[in-house]
Amino acid sequence: MENIYKPYLARIEEKRKETYDTTSFKLVFVDDEVRERFTFRAGNFGEYSVLGEGESTFCIASSPTKKGYIECCFRAVGRVTKSLAEKEVGDVIGFRGPYGNHFPVEDFFGKNVVFIAGGIALPPVRSVIWNVLDLRDKFEKVTIVYGARSVADLVYKHELKLWEERSDVDIVTTVDPGGETPEWKGKIGFVPTVLKEVAPSSENSVAVLCGPPIMIKFTLPVLRELGFKEEDVWTTLENRMKCGLGKCGRCNVGSVYVCKEGPVFTAAQIARMPNDF
Amino acid sequence: MPYLKMDSADLPKVARKLAASGARLVLPVREGDERFYREGADPDSLDLTTIPKNSIKEFLFPKTEKILRYQYRGKDVTVEDVPPAAAGRTVIFGARPCDAASLPVVEPLWNWDYKDEFFNARRGATVVVTYACRTAPDEACFCVSVGLGPSSDQGSDVLLFPLDETVVAVRFVTAAGRELESAFAEFGKGEVAEEALEAFRKTGEASLAHRKKFDRVQGWLEAHFEDRLWEEKAFRCVGCGTCTFLCPTCHCFDIQDESCFDVGYRLKNWDACQFSLFTLHTSGHNPRDTQPKRYRQRIYHKYAIYPQKFGKILCTGCGRCVAHCPVNLSLYDVVATAQERAERGD
Repeated sequence: MENIYKPYLARIEEKRKETYDTTSFKLVFVDDEVRERFTFRAGNFGEYSVLGEGESTFCIASSPTKKGYIECCFRAVGRVTKSLAEKEVGDVIGFRGPYGNHFPVEDFFGKNVVFIAGGIALPPVRSVIWNVLDLRDKFEKVTIVYGARSVADLVYKHELKLWEERSDVDIVTTVDPGGETPEWKGKIGFVPTVLKEVAPSSENSVAVLCGPPIMIKFTLPVLRELGFKEEDVWTTLENRMKCGLGKCGRCNVGSVYVCKEGPVFTAAQIARMPNDF
Repeated sequence: MPYLKMDSADLPKVARKLAASGARLVLPVREGDERFYREGADPDSLDLTTIPKNSIKEFLFPKTEKILRYQYRGKDVTVEDVPPAAAGRTVIFGARPCDAASLPVVEPLWNWDYKDEFFNARRGATVVVTYACRTAPDEACFCVSVGLGPSSDQGSDVLLFPLDETVVAVRFVTAAGRELESAFAEFGKGEVAEEALEAFRKTGEASLAHRKKFDRVQGWLEAHFEDRLWEEKAFRCVGCGTCTFLCPTCHCFDIQDESCFDVGYRLKNWDACQFSLFTLHTSGHNPRDTQPKRYRQRIYHKYAIYPQKFGKILCTGCGRCVAHCPVNLSLYDVVATAQERAERGD
């Protein structure tokens, strides 16, 4: 009998404390056969579990172009994520997935791609960023605008540096006013304001946007002003989930099941949804 | 096809024969002033007087169910499958048509791309012997509103028609039902003609003639997500979840782990969209942060979302949520109001 609720086992190969409350893992599936056949797309999510504590839902943060492992990044907030954060290299956790739809990266070929992320929402965007960078020739200009409440809240700092060093990536980092340190070299200001300053061209462009609801709310009008069509703005919805399989009944927004029909949607699709999020 | 005629007094004997064949027998029995479907009850305690308080769903989708076992050995952990519990041959004897009809309603959900083999294993092993309703068994039920009826054979393998106080007509609906024929045969007292059944059906439907047909509800809901109705009707909902637990079609669940030292089980437990924790995000944000929103979700799921996804209303009109709501919030009343407003273009 195939058990749809049974997770794969994955060993933590690398662990990095990204911020005071955020941890990232590199995970390798214990079973050779699973490791060989496992594939996913940028935007897919999974159910990560500490057996004995429960499951928690988040995106796969690595790019599908990187084979043999997956990465994730999460903030320790609830019972499962706190317990996950206590796991060390060599420990085994559970993973079910990949679930949901994905960013249509092939549709972005030949276009400028603008990535906009806030705080802990960089990990899902990072999956697309590396996907794009690993196929760099297929895209035009790549712009990244990433902000967090404070310098201490920026995740993947070592990669922000990598992206800054690349001549084929324009990256702007920012922290909310008051969140800066004396050494901070990036911008100070909220993501929507900074995006307005950066003013990426909407000509032949798509935007990938992830962040807290308040950031999304104020960023969408800026993108509109810049000329981005709602069909070209891609984002994800994050709803509480248990099964990830369209059965447990809690992640729907109106008739849309985020776990099956999402988590990736265009701003146009979201605008058509009832106010149930 | 003719219908087998038998004495209703012989029904417990049929049930006993079925239990003796090794099947798990589920039947309605009396407990205090209530009736409940119970597993393994004495066939002589069969009580078909009215609709039981619980639905038959717990025998296919248990309140709590082990879905896997895990074991720690130091840093290593292994995960093992556990076979679906109580998945042996099961006969539900004396189900009401609204309960039997719930099975084909929820099947597509459990098989929507990913197959829940825990449900499927029990579904495949279950035979339903349904006791049709001569007249509406209580004031709360409304099966005719959702396209069913007191003689509906949806989900039934065998259908019993209590023609009067003492005589029952038996119809074998499916192949699985015909396999039970031998248990009934020896109690046969001849045959019943189709006409008697026609009269039975008409009496049953007449007893529910006052119920509205909910044929315009889906369209109305799709256009009235934001509407005064939700606050007006559902403000008094206390969010107890009784309606969801008694409902034969509600299927929302939670997944939890329960450990004892190094060993434990992952469990699938009944959950309810009426609870504030159901959709609460870790951040503290809750998409359905007030009770009217949670109530609206339940109505939408049943009458708009599920029909859009699977072409079926997620409600069989059993009326338990109406009869047992502690604050007398009637789902029938709410949905009938939607239907009325659709009819008058409001």
